[in-house]
Order: sequence, then structure tokens, then C-alpha cells
Amino acid sequence: MSILVQRSDVGEFRRRYRWMVLVVLAIFSTLFGRLVYLQVIQGDIHRTQARRNIVREVKLATRRGVIRDARGHVLAANRPSYNVYVVPTKLNQESTWPKLVRLMGLDPAGSKQILERIAKVLALPEEDKRRAQQLLIAVDVDRDIVANLETHHDQMPGVSVTPVPVRYYPYGELGAHMVGYMREVDSADLTELEAQGYRPGDRLGAVGVERRWESYLRGKRGMRKVIQSKRRLANREELEAKYLEEPRVVSPVPGRDISLTVDIELEQSIEKALRGQLAASVVVVEVRTGRVLAAVSKPSYDPNIVSGGGGIEAVREAFRRLYVDPLKPMLDKTISAAYPPGSTFKPFTALAALEEGVIDRDLQVDCHGGYEYGKRFFRCTGVHRRVDLHSALVHSCNTYFYSIGAHEHMQLDRLAKVGLSFGMGAKTGIGTNPEARGRMPTRSWYTRRYKGAFRGGFTLLAAIGQGATTVSVLQLGLAYAALANGGTLYQPQVVRSIETSDGTVVQEFPPRVRRLIAIDPGHLEMIRDGLRGVVSEREGTAHAGTVEGADMAGKTGTAQVSHVTPRGVDPDKIWYFNRDHAWFSGYAPAASPEIAIVVLVEHGGGGGKNAVPVASRVVRDWQKMREKKPESREPGIDMPESEEVP
Amino acid sequence: MVHRGRISFKSGPQIDMALLFCSVFIVIAGLVNLYSATSVYAASTSKSSLADMYVSQVYWIVVGGLLAVLIAAIDYRNYERLALMAYVGGLVTLALVFVLATDVRGSSRWIQVGSFGFQPSEFIKILLIIVLARYIHNDPRTEARRWIDLFVPIVLTVIPAGLVMAQPDLGTALIYLLTAGSILAMLRIRGGSLLWATGLGGAALPMAWKFLMKDYQKARITSFLDPEHDITGSGWHALQSKTAIGNGGLTGCGYMRGTQNQFGFLPDQFSDFPFAVFGEDWGLIGGAVLLALYCFLVIWSIRIASQAKDRFGAALAIGVGAMIFWHVVFNIGMAAGALPVVGVTLPLFSYGGSSVITSMIGLGLLMNVSMRR
Repeated sequence: MSILVQRSDVGEFRRRYRWMVLVVLAIFSTLFGRLVYLQVIQGDIHRTQARRNIVREVKLATRRGVIRDARGHVLAANRPSYNVYVVPTKLNQESTWPKLVRLMGLDPAGSKQILERIAKVLALPEEDKRRAQQLLIAVDVDRDIVANLETHHDQMPGVSVTPVPVRYYPYGELGAHMVGYMREVDSADLTELEAQGYRPGDRLGAVGVERRWESYLRGKRGMRKVIQSKRRLANREELEAKYLEEPRVVSPVPGRDISLTVDIELEQSIEKALRGQLAASVVVVEVRTGRVLAAVSKPSYDPNIVSGGGGIEAVREAFRRLYVDPLKPMLDKTISAAYPPGSTFKPFTALAALEEGVIDRDLQVDCHGGYEYGKRFFRCTGVHRRVDLHSALVHSCNTYFYSIGAHEHMQLDRLAKVGLSFGMGAKTGIGTNPEARGRMPTRSWYTRRYKGAFRGGFTLLAAIGQGATTVSVLQLGLAYAALANGGTLYQPQVVRSIETSDGTVVQEFPPRVRRLIAIDPGHLEMIRDGLRGVVSEREGTAHAGTVEGADMAGKTGTAQVSHVTPRGVDPDKIWYFNRDHAWFSGYAPAASPEIAIVVLVEHGGGGGKNAVPVASRVVRDWQKMREKKPESREPGIDMPESEEVP
Repeated sequence: MVHRGRISFKSGPQIDMALLFCSVFIVIAGLVNLYSATSVYAASTSKSSLADMYVSQVYWIVVGGLLAVLIAAIDYRNYERLALMAYVGGLVTLALVFVLATDVRGSSRWIQVGSFGFQPSEFIKILLIIVLARYIHNDPRTEARRWIDLFVPIVLTVIPAGLVMAQPDLGTALIYLLTAGSILAMLRIRGGSLLWATGLGGAALPMAWKFLMKDYQKARITSFLDPEHDITGSGWHALQSKTAIGNGGLTGCGYMRGTQNQFGFLPDQFSDFPFAVFGEDWGLIGGAVLLALYCFLVIWSIRIASQAKDRFGAALAIGVGAMIFWHVVFNIGMAAGALPVVGVTLPLFSYGGSSVITSMIGLGLLMNVSMRR
């Protein structure tokens, strides 16, 4: 049976087989080489990539430390801000959307805008759509709305309400400059801060204690590894235990709580006393520790708004408004601005003169309403006749101090030296906000400034705290504290202690002495005698303005301001900005001082009429408050435990 | 002894045990691997049908195995007579695809018969091998052939290649051309004609790029040349497959523990990328063993060809060997990111009835030639 014509001349092929085998072996070897390359040489790279595919680290939010005042009142804490998100691909626009609009009480314009954003996401290509999964549609919604949304949660697929921690300042504007506020990190910060674990969208302290103590307050975020899968996982728990290496969870470390030295009730009293004043600055420090008991700068701002709880638009709008205000609400007037001290500087002039032997207790000067020096006549506040050191302070007689300034042995640099030794014209090192240095002008400073033309008149002006002399309110407060305590200049202190969230003290800060000022106690007593007279004697400049029951001593001041129109001021209101600054600097109680207080009413006019009532009211309130026991530590407002929204 | 004009066996047909065991090893490895590739869906309700793939693959292998036995049992020389008729019938079915086809991911390759879908383009591979073997058998010239002498086999190849290109199915067309080329490489061809062929082929490539290839096919090639260019689009498959193989390392992640596969990062892991699953689970050691098995199978088929008693048998063996060879090279090459992603299956590994049955028929033919040497 032959089914095929036999053609057995297969010899033609023989020579080919060997070649074919060689080609096959060569190509299989190449494939094997490729496997070696992928699996052995590049193995680590691919293993890392495969891990990265499936392992995602969910960040666990930490809790920023709570800031409390000296008596345990919460000044800054965290609260949940409920944000509403929708997943555009899961949202049913026919059934869910109208319900959501009704529950949230959206107006037609707002709802139309959101629908447009949803449509934009839906128009994206598939891959991008998945990436832009959640769309934020409302920030910090009302608790009632949150409750409504939660009850209808099951009927609204694609809608979620997520709590995001927001900084909360229960006292709002009060003392805001010292406590500070939060802001979002920008790209410039991130280049520096990324190593410390900051991520885009994080918030950090912008100013004040929030900024200075950021590293303590911040805490450390935690992490939980989860498996990321392209398919649905029914037994996720089991798989995560099998595939994820330990540690699978790192708990977040909450930030440290901080107790300040300030007393919010004292600040409330200051706020009350300042009613009716447009712009002012008040500092109260403890005389024997340098602790800042109150620091109020007016006008202020609401840190709740600028910290971003209400969304980015609200923050922008707030800053726009705050920065055009000629009263400068963002400026911390207790630290970041320097003013001519006016007559409140006179005690230091007198001290310099006493140390130099230019005057003594009994030296008398004739005041005819001014002092003739060179071709100029330097005015006094009145005609005081014969004045000695005590009455010169009590009446705030300029002539007496002009005569000191004009004395041949009294040089400008002596004044500056005494001023500097009391900490004026130099940074105090408080650290919360940028400090204005202030200035104690010297001869060489004037020479540089006026191109060599130094005139004796400069010394006369410096003697009464005018001219180029400027100080910050805090500097003056610390200087008066030094007068009150016998010559110890303290480092100002804002933070009393650092605690864990359950109240265990981690670190306490004892008072720090900056310098012991070398002054004759006898001279100091003469000055203090004068300062008591200012308040207690009938002719004293502070006597009339002091409210009943306030036991204090101090010095008034009325500082002339240079007549320059600040930018952006309505011409009709220029008169206000040309008015003198009203000062009062002193301490209380007069006999054995415990606190030093400085009140500056910007453009307030006369110090005796405008600053003294404020100071004396605060002193009176402080006397009452002193009796009260320290209160227990208030708990911070708690955040629910949460994962961070990616 | 072989007597001229008559057929007889020295001692009756003998089963080629090497071929049989090698095939059985590959089939078992393929099934084990398919279980790993599809079992991940067992827990998911929407995709649980995918887990059943494993079972239907077993059916296909049984059906294919029976067919292979049948094909091996009938003396291969009977097929020579049927070759042309079967070939023409195959082309008609292939053309029918354009009328009856169901769309799978933008290309129509399937014909639905009852509840079965089958891909005629797969079976054409076998028919093409047979018809080319017949041509070679009937053209016993010993002098070197010129270009024009190869006109007939070239036409025989280009017609089905053109039809599948139009489906469009670049991978299968490529397999046709390479398998036919391998069979023709058995013949002596004049040096000048070879140069011409190379030149023409080189000129045809840009033309094919411009007129024949679809955008998605172009995208696969550009993304192969520049994989970082498009991570989410065409490059995604190749990249994830490469990562899976690399993740296996030297010893592998362990059976059913490869994370790329377990968590769904491998697309088409049961049809186009089974080797990625295998490489991830078993590592370089497993991959090398599998490569060695395929390599042995291909070289063994060359050996069978060298021992064949006639030109038809030799060409059949070379054709089947070449078909398996090019499938393996392209599939593993693309899984390992060494070649562009063209949908070519891994014989006996990839899920799919048409592919499994075609491979099984091929093995049956090999066995047939081997038994009747």
C-alpha cells in the first residue's frame, strides 16, 4: 500500500539541522540570560517595586499639644472640622444629589458650582479619574448638618463626612499675638522641613508660642501598613498578617502640652479696661521672676479664622482685611514695635544723673515753663517753680530733666548705658515673635545719622525719653520690674512648663536672671519714692486717673509722635495718627512690688488721663484675682482618632 | 528495514517516551500554574467564573490529548493528500470570522458555535504547516532555489497572515510568518535571493507600520521601546510583568505567594502572562527548568525531523517545533520585557481551548513522525 510517493532524499536538510539547533540554543540562552538579569541582577529593584505596589502606609494623625494658661485654662486645642467629600464616580446624581443639597442647605449657585466640578472629574480619562477620587465640597460644616448626613449615610453612597483636626482657640482674639496661629506649610518650607516629616498640606505654627514651640507641640504621626490591591480582598486581615512585615502599626505620638505663664483672666481684665481705645498694648510681668502674666496687643485678630478652620478662602479674605487696616492688627505691639517712651524714661535719666553725681536728692531747679539751651527753648508741661528730684518725678517736670541733659558732666552715652543696663534698646530674648530692638541713641549713633553734626539738644530730648529713643512695651515692663525688685533684670518667660497630655510635667522652666544691675540702693529708693508720689500725691500726674483701691506706683508718659501719615489712612482721620501716645509704667503693690505693668495707648493723648485708668483697673483686678486659688487643668477638646485624608 | 515502494516497521510503531514525558511535564506545570493564576479570584463573587477556568482548561487538555492520540495513530502520510483541501477549508473559516465574529477587546478572532467559541486562526497554524510540508515534499530539487521558486509557499503563507492581520491579530500573523520561514529555511536558497528577501522585508516594515498596523499595536511597540514614557497605558502590562518576574528572584516567592499575581497587578495572567506568574512563584530556578523543558521539546523535534524517513515528515516536525519555539520565545520574551507585547500564548501554559488543542495536535503530529521513522 502506497499512500505517498516516497521521496526520501532528506539529505538536503541534514546540513540545516545543526544550524537550527545552534540558533535554538542561542535564543534560549538569551532568554535565560534575560531571566538572570531580571531576577538576580535587578532582583532587588523589582522586589522593591513589587512591595511598593501592594504596601501602602496610611498615616495616622497625631494630636497637637494643648496650650494652657497659668491657671489651666485652655488657650489652644484641637477640634474636629467636619469636611464633606463626594466620590464623583459613585455619586448618583438623580437620587443622592438632591437629597445632599437639601440636607446641607446648599443654595442653587453653590450646588451648581459643585456639579460643575463633579462633571469635570467625570470627564477625565479613566486613570486620572481614579486618582481624583474624593472631591472636597464643604469645609467645617455645622454639627447639625453632620448629624443629618450621618443618619442618612446609608442612603447616600459616594458621600462621606470626615473629621479633620483644626486648631481651636477658645478665647479668640484675646492674647492672640502671644499664642499665635497656624498656617499651611508652603513649598519653600517643605524643602527644609521634609526631613522632619512634614508633608504638603500639613500645618505648622506661624507666629507666637505656636511657632516657637512647634517641635514640642507637633507630635509625631503614626503609620499603619495596608495592602493595596487591584482586586477585591475578602480576607484582608489574614492577607495583611501574611504579607506585611512588622511593624505593621506605629502609633502616633501626641504632641506635648504647654503651660504658659500668662493668666487669661488677667488678659480679660485688660481687654475690659481697654474698651474705648482703638489701639493699645499692655504687658504685665512678675517682678521677681520675669514671667509674663499678660501681653495684650490691640486691635487683634481671630486666630480661629486665620488658622484655616473655615477653609482657604476665609483665610485669604481675613489676611486681606487685616493687612490694609492702618491700626495694624497683625502687629504684636508688645514686642514687635518700638515707641518713644516719653516721660516714663525719666526715672532712668534720674538714676544716671544720681550715679554720675550730677544731681542729688536736694538739688533744686527753677522751672519757668521751659529751658533755654543754645538758640532753642525746650518746653515743659507747665510752670513748676522750684522742683527737686521727688517733685520733678511727681509733676513730670521736663525742665528738671533738661537741666540734667544740659549738664556738662552728663553725657548722652551715660544715659544710653543706664538704659541698656535696664534692658532697653536690646532684644529681650522672649522668642515668641520677632522683636523690635528699640534704640538708646549714643553720640556715635547721632554722628553717623546726622553726618557728624551732633548737637547738645539731642541729650536734652533723650533725657525726657524723646528724640531718637525708642523702647518696646515689654522692654519697659522688664526695666520697671528691675526698678521694683532692686535691680535684677530677668529674662522674660512665657512658658512655665511642658507636660504630657495626661498632665505629667516633663520640663519646667525656672526664672532666669539676665543681669544684676549695679545701682546704689539709696538712689533706687529715691526714684521709687518719686514713683509712689506720682500716684499717691494729689499733684501726681497719675493721681487723678487712678481708680479707687489700686495700690501702685509708676510714671506717666505722653510721647510725641513724628507727624508722618501712615499709608492708606483716610485724610479725615489723620488727626488721630498725629495724637501723642499715652503711657503708664509702674508696679504694684507700691510698697512691696509683685508685678510690673506697662500700658501704652497708641495715639491716646495724655498718659495721665488715658493710660493710668487702664493700668489702675488692671491692678485692682489683679489684686482681687491674686486671692483666688489656681484652678484645675482643663482638658483639651478631643479629636476622634483618625486616619489622615490622603 | 525500509523497502522501496513499501512501508513497513522494524518492530511496529514505538511511542517516543522522551517526547511524551516532556509534554506531560509541561502540561502539569501549566495546570499547576494556572491554578495559582486564577485561584486568586475564587473569593471574589464577580469574578468567580475566572476560577472555573482551571477546570475548563483541564477539559481542553483532555480533549486535546484524545485528539493528539487520534492524530498520532493515523499515519501522517495520509494527511499529505488532505493538506490542500483542509488548508482551503481553514481559510474559508478564517474569512468567516469577519462575518460571525464576536469582539474581544477590539479585535474579532472568535467564532461562536453553540456555547463554544473557537479561534480559527489557531488551527490554521497546523494547516499551514501541513500544506507547506506538502509543498516541500513535492519539490525535491537539490539545487539552490531562486526567489521565484518560493513563490507558491510564500503566497500560501501570506494569505492567512494577511487575514489575521486584518482581524487584527499581529501576534498570530507573526507566528505564521516565522513558522513558514523556519520550514523554508530547510531548503537551499540562493545567496542573492536571501539578500533580496532581507531588503524587501526591511522595506516592508515601515510600510506595515504606516498602513497595516492599528494604533494600539503601534502603541505597544513604542511603549516597548520607551517603557517609562507611558506607565499607565500600554507600558503598564509589560512593566508589571517584568516586576513580577524580577520579584521572584532566584528561588521565587513560593507557590501562590507571588504578590504581583495575588493582588491583581498582572493583567491577563492566565492567557498572555502565565510566565510572569510562574517566574514570580518559582523564581529563576523554576523559570530555568521550564525553559529547559521547552528547549528540549524544540531540539527533540529537530531530532525527530532529522530521523524522519521522508521530506513530508521532516518538514512537519520542523514546522511543529518552529511553531512551539516561536510561541515560547515571543511569550516569555514579552513577559520578561525583552520583546514588545504581542498577544502570543505560551503553549500548554496559557488558558484557552483553541491554543491548547492546537498545541496538542502539534504534539500528536510530532509523535506521529517520531513513531514512523
